[in-house]
Formats: sequence, C-alpha cells, structure tokens
Amino acid sequence: MSQAFDIAVVGGGILGCATALRLAEGGMNAIVIEKSDLGQGASGVNAGTLSLQIKRVKLMPYALRGWAKWQAMGAAIGFHQTGGISLAFNQREADLLQERMTMKAEAGAPITLISGRDARAREPGLSDRVVAASWCPQDGHANSSLTGQYYRHQLRDARIAIREHCPVTKIDQTDRGFVLHGYGETIHARRLLLACGGWLKGVAALLGVDLPVRARVNTVSVTERGPRIMNTVVGHATGLLTMKQKTNGTVLIGGGWQGRGSPMNGRGLVDRDTLIPNLCLAQYAVPEIARLRVLRSWTGFEAHVPDFNPLAGALPGTKNAFVLGCVRGGYTIGPYISELMGDLILGRDPEMPLFDPSRPFDIETATRRIL
Amino acid sequence: MQHRPRIQKGVSRAATVRFVIDGIELDAPAGESLAAALMAAGIGTIRHGPMDGQPRSVFCLIGLCQECLVEIDGMQIEACRVNVSAGMQVNRLRPMDPIKP
Amino acid sequence: MTYDLAVIGAGPAGASATIEAAKAGLDTVLIDEQRAAGGQVWRAKGPAIKAAPATPEGKTGDRLRAALAAVTADRHFSARVWDIERHTDGFRISAISPTGALTIETRAVLLAGGAQERVFAVPGWTLPGVIGLGAATALMKEQLVLPGNRVIVAGVGPLLSFVAHEIIRNGGKVAAVVDLNPLSVWLRCLPDLIGSPGLLVRGAWWRLRLWAAGVAYFHECGIRSIEGDRAVSRVTIGAVDANWCPLGAATQTYDADAVCLGHGLAPATEASRLLGADHQYDGGQGGWKPVTDDVGRTTVPGLFVAGDGAGVQGAAAAQLQGRISALAIAEDLGLLTTREWRRRSAPLILRIGKAQRFGRAMTALTIPRPGLIEAIAPDTLVCRCEGLSRHDIEAEIRAGANWPNAIKSGTRCGMGPCGGRYCTETVTELACRITGKTPGEFGIPTARPPLRPVPIGCLSGEFDYDDLPIPPPAPL
Repeated sequence: MSQAFDIAVVGGGILGCATALRLAEGGMNAIVIEKSDLGQGASGVNAGTLSLQIKRVKLMPYALRGWAKWQAMGAAIGFHQTGGISLAFNQREADLLQERMTMKAEAGAPITLISGRDARAREPGLSDRVVAASWCPQDGHANSSLTGQYYRHQLRDARIAIREHCPVTKIDQTDRGFVLHGYGETIHARRLLLACGGWLKGVAALLGVDLPVRARVNTVSVTERGPRIMNTVVGHATGLLTMKQKTNGTVLIGGGWQGRGSPMNGRGLVDRDTLIPNLCLAQYAVPEIARLRVLRSWTGFEAHVPDFNPLAGALPGTKNAFVLGCVRGGYTIGPYISELMGDLILGRDPEMPLFDPSRPFDIETATRRIL
Repeated sequence: MQHRPRIQKGVSRAATVRFVIDGIELDAPAGESLAAALMAAGIGTIRHGPMDGQPRSVFCLIGLCQECLVEIDGMQIEACRVNVSAGMQVNRLRPMDPIKP
Repeated sequence: MTYDLAVIGAGPAGASATIEAAKAGLDTVLIDEQRAAGGQVWRAKGPAIKAAPATPEGKTGDRLRAALAAVTADRHFSARVWDIERHTDGFRISAISPTGALTIETRAVLLAGGAQERVFAVPGWTLPGVIGLGAATALMKEQLVLPGNRVIVAGVGPLLSFVAHEIIRNGGKVAAVVDLNPLSVWLRCLPDLIGSPGLLVRGAWWRLRLWAAGVAYFHECGIRSIEGDRAVSRVTIGAVDANWCPLGAATQTYDADAVCLGHGLAPATEASRLLGADHQYDGGQGGWKPVTDDVGRTTVPGLFVAGDGAGVQGAAAAQLQGRISALAIAEDLGLLTTREWRRRSAPLILRIGKAQRFGRAMTALTIPRPGLIEAIAPDTLVCRCEGLSRHDIEAEIRAGANWPNAIKSGTRCGMGPCGGRYCTETVTELACRITGKTPGEFGIPTARPPLRPVPIGCLSGEFDYDDLPIPPPAPL
C-alpha cells in the first residue's frame, strides 16, 4: 500500500494550497491534487483585483484580513496598492453607489464618496461623464498569473506533496479514510478537503454528496502595452467593471461579464455579446483605452451557492471530509479563509466564524444525499 | 543600418511620396509597406524590446510578430500592415512610464 | 443573411476552395488579412509596384486571382478575423475590415489559414537585420525589396535555396547559405520528389544557380551567433552533428548586414484550437494539427480545415485539398448529391497523392532535432515580446512548471502581443529536454480570442451608454 497522507486536498488553487500550508504548519502530512496545473483555475485567471469596493458587506471583515495577507506576500505575487475609484454615470447609479458604499464603509472598508470632479483629479484619464464616485485608498491589485508559481514554491518549501495533471476520477471511503484514484495514481488519506472551485459539484458527487454549487463564467481581457493612462483600479457602481493598468503598461479589464460553458463540459468560452459591452463600459470610463488593442480575452469559473456565501466546513454527511469554496471575492479573501479552514481541520478554534455547508439553502437546491 | 536595396531591374513603381517618422522626412513609392520603406531607408531600430530595452526591427513581415509596431494617428499598428501615403506621420514607440506610487 | 460557407484565408487552399464552392452553388464568403489573394507562396505584388518581371509564383498567383475574380463570392481583403464562435446551427465570425467591424454568419467554415513560420532562437536573433525566411519571401515578392546587401540565409528546409536564389536573381549578394541538414537528406527523399518533376527541377535549378554564382552553401552547419551594434554586422557559423547540435570549436565568421532565418513551417492552428477541435502532434506535418478526415472535416461539426493549416504539405496539395473540402462541404449541406460529389472529387483525389508525397517529404526535412536548442545561449532571448531568456524559461521549468500553461503564467512567456507564435516551439523543445516529455505529451497553450490584436475602439464602435446591457449588481 502506498503512503497514507493525513489529508488529501483536491484542488490546487489559492484555497487548496493555502489550507494545505496551514495544515502542514499544524503538523499534518498533506498532499495537493490538481487536475491541471496549480493556480490555473479561477485563482490564476481572475483579474487580480484586490478591491474592497466590490466585496460583499457580510464578507468585509474577511476581505480586510485577506487583503493584509496579500500585502504580506508582496512582490512575489505582484501586490500593488493603488487605490480604487468606482464610478456612476447617471443619478440612478449615483444612488446605487451611495447606498452600497455606505454599507461597505460601515462594514469597515475605508471607502469615501467623492464627486466626479474629485474622481478626475485623482485619475485624469477618467471620462468627464462621471457624476459621482467612491474612493478606497486600500484598493489595488496583484498578479493572478503568479498564483501557481507562488504556491508551487510555498508547497515545495513546506514539503507538501503535489500531484498536477491528476484529475480525481473516483473516491472510495474506507474505515481508515479515503482512497483517491487519479490519473494512474492511487492516493490514501485519512482526511479529505475538497477545494476545487467550479468543479466542487462533480467531485463531491464522487462521494454521493450533491452540493448546490453552480459556476459563473467570468470574462477577463488584457490589452497590449500602452502609455500610462490610469493609476488606480477603476470600477463601476454596479461592480460590473474592474480595470487597472499594470506596471508593464498592459490594461486588464474584468467585471464579471458572463461567457459560456460550464466546468463539467470542458473549458469556458468568451462570448462576443458580453465581451463587447464589457469593453464599451471600460472605454466609457477611460476613453483613452479605445486606442489600445486587446490581445487576449479568457474566462474563469467562479463557483457559488444560492445564498452567495462561502461553503467552509464539514462536507455534509461524510466523516473526516471538508469543503472550502464558493467564496465570493475569493481572490482577496482566499488566503485568509483558508487559514480559518485549516484551523478548523486541525481542531483549533478559527478566529472568525466559518460557513457551514450543511446550512439550509432554498428548498429546490438544498444540500442533500443523492441516494 | 544600411539601406536595403529596392529591386530595380524591370520594375516600375508608383510615384514617390514624402512621409515623416519622428521628425525625419523620408521618401518612398506611394503604397509601399511602411516596413519595407523603413528598411529601404536604412532605419534599423523601429522600437526597443519593452522588457529588455534591446533594439528591434521588422521580423516576420506578415503582421504576426509585432516587432515593427509604430504609432500612427495615436494607434499602435504594425508597420508591415500599413501602406505609405503622402504626409503620413509615424512615431516610434516610447518606453513605458513607471507606475506612480 | 447566412452564408453557406465562409472561407478564412485566400492562399492556395482557400482561394481554390472558394472557386470550387461558388461553382457548386454555395453562397460563399472569402476573408483574408492580406491585401490580395495568393497567400504567402503566390503573394500578389503590393500597390507600389506598377510593373515587374514575371516569376513562376507570380504567374500562378495571377491565374488564381483571375479565376477567383470570375466567380460569384463575397470577399473581404485586409480583413482580420478576430473571433469565430459556434452560433445557432453554424458559426459567427467577427472581423475588422478597412470599412469597419464585420460580422458574418455561416453554416460551415473552411479554415485555410496556412502555415506560420517556425524560427528557433539563436544568439543575436533579435537584432535588427534578422528576418524570417518567410518574411524574406514576402519582402521580395510583394515589395520587391531585398533583405540586405550581404545576406546570410540560414536554417533548414527548401526555403533556404529559394530565398538565396531570389536574392541573387534580383541582383543581391548572399554571403553564405547555412543548412543544418546534410546534402544526403535531399538525396534520400528523391523517391518522394520524383512524382512532382516540375517542383524538383525548380529546386535543383536554384541550387545550380547558387553554385554557378559562387555562393557558399554549407551543409551540416548552423549559426553560432549573430552580432552587431544595434544591427547585424557579423555572423558566426559552425558545424552541427546529425542531431543539429553544435559540433567542435571551429567556426567561421562572415561580414553580413542581414540574416534570413527559418526552421520550417507549422500549421497555423489558433482558429481550430479556439473552436475546440481535437488536435494531434505530427512532426512530419509541422507539429500540432487539427485531427481531420480525408476531406478536411474536423471533430467540430461544420468546421473544415484545408491546406497547410491541416498539416504542412505545400501549395500543390493545398490547392487540391481546398477544392476537395469545398465539394465535401457542398455535399454535407445538401447542395451536391453524393453521386455528383464523387464525380467531381474523384479526379482531384487521384492527383493529390503525389502532391502530398512531395510536400510531406519537404516538411519532414524540417522536423526539429533535439540538438537545435543547444545553440541557444543562456542569455539568448527566447520570448521576444516579454524579453525572457533561455535561462528564465529553464529556471521556471526546473522549479516545477512542467506544462505549457504553467510556464506561460509563471514567466509571461507567450503572453505578449505575438501570442506565443515565435516562442512556443523553442519552449516546447526546452521543456521536453528537461522533463523527458515528447512535444505531443507536453501539449500546447490554450487558444483564446482575439485571434489577432484588435483595437478596443474598433470593437466598441459607436454606442449609446444607455443601451449597454449592464446586468444587475452582485448581491450586497
């Protein structure tokens, strides 16, 4: 029989890797199993925005602590604190901005409402059609492309086993734990953590658990290098735009416009009908980007559940198995909530409450056993 | 860089027009690709590698490699995909400004 | 309206397919990013050229362009296709043409994007004055400009003699031709070439003319370095072994102001990969190519590939393939009876074997050998766009990034504006050497739109803010 690990983590994104690191610190012998490469799912293909203005009110305390983790990771992950501006182009959006940002500020984010003129003073490239804006000096970005590289180094330094290009196709439960069957591999582990984002539903189904997980197909685009036209993270009252110019001159444009496809049917696809309005909105905010050429657009699967809160806790009905996923704003929050999850598995008291995956969802989609 | 010779034997070309690159006036037959016109004029460095700072010039001539990128009318465009026209104003790309703190 | 067929690429395969499809009664549209039909091989002269001596390639191209002009099909030149999506029962193609954004709906698509040049890094290959072998053909055929005053022509494959010959024929000077292959490989593939005597004679004629002109032609030699202050001024060459690995310390240095460098052609697969067709690695046909049947059907219904984009086999085969695919599409769409398809395609299928044999023999000469990358110095740039050296790439692979997307994410190699077109092959060879994988196992990075860089202003066009379909905000 091959070596038995204390825990097998399925999913090599931020959540899986960061939890494995916490578990290794706590003395557990962990293995991270990833179907493609580390950090190539949502963790590595998102727009890298570290913006408090687009975080959910309820998750703000987690986001603030997650932000501090990114700041500590620093240059290795391309961290930049630039400040961020969210824009309203009409009165309806201004009202929306005021309502949402006031609540987020009350939740602890250092967000202030500013005039369109103040916004343009901070960011001269902004359109003169801005009627109101909000400003958060803490906003910024990191380079999500470096997620895989960063965690590969961290896992190696912590002597955590890694299996890449190893999709888990079967999981057996035994009295001693779990046997995972992958690409020519059989892995034994006493505990199991599912942290595979958009693929959670399919992997949990291997254990007969139906998680009410769905995946959004978020589109991100990047332009060629250009002269500097913005310095901050530029957003929109609805949250449907994130845009920043990286130090290398390229502009990254996101905002969660939906492509097509699903995790279970292969890759996601960019949809021209949502890509173009996404770019129009970006151009409306900063007209100068009309001159830049788009080099690449892509999609990433962002997992969510009906109440849009994370799944973080015991996998329903399965002893010694846990699930971590569906964290809205998971890039910012990921490194922190993973530590909480690690503490829970280690039997410690997490610093902040987690999100029980057995909580009731609406009747149609509530977590239930398949059999 | 030395001038690249235009093939002359048996070849007749459109009338010569004048265009400008970074303030330098150059002549070329109307409709010649800007990349070819720059080569013929002996313009070696078209841009610098944005990360390594080394001189770069025309490489693939079919619009793929992006090494001959120049700026015309505020747009970045491959010199090999532009035809020379009278009075065309071409700018070579400047190195990036660093991000403001 | 919805077309029956959209042909992308107006080279030998695409232009021939368009003619055949139009004759079979298909509503056909042809799109190409160059200024006129002909592709790389039968490239038309640019608008600056009013008259020039005829060449065999020019004449063939002119005949094809005349035949194309005589059929009824819509055509868009200087139009760059940036996206192809599966859409309802067919496809939706997005392009930017000189007149603005173009959207084309069609029942079937024939990709005829041809091949792209493969150039492996050598020390100094980023210096101004170094261009691709294919680039040299474009420069001479379309612009009638020589690549330099004293040119080194280097690499591998049949383009070496063609380019060197074109330079001297047009009054230029070739310092030397540097061929990684021994002369014996040419003799060994003679049996495959005999079936296409016209092409064989032309190839032999180029060599003879080079010899008569006193041009040094070195077999089993490669470039060791290209040097110069801001432009090429010296090129050092040296012997290579049977694996194309630099051999021995003896070198020879030439004064030169230009280098034409190329290592064969690879199918341009970005569009077929974007559409999710299955691909396979076949070194003998230029590397990664879409999986197709005999008539060019891919694994995506309604999507066909013909010509070098389906596996590099040369212009003669491409022309026939394009016609066969067009007829097969007509039959699939119910516009040609099976009987009629057989009648029209049979003579083409009969002829294609010889052409393919010739083309494949030429491509086989260029299959990269493992020693090729040994000529790359640690500080030689491999990724031109992002300024990454061999050392940078190898460090990332050694740190555990063993697959294309991992290397790309960690280093940015292939994320630049060329889209990985000029580094992927070198990275593949470097990674395979370290990891022991074959290129087929290593794989190829994911293809993403746009297929060519597109200005945001061209995509956005004129729009009214209130018409933007901005979805409701995320939950608080």
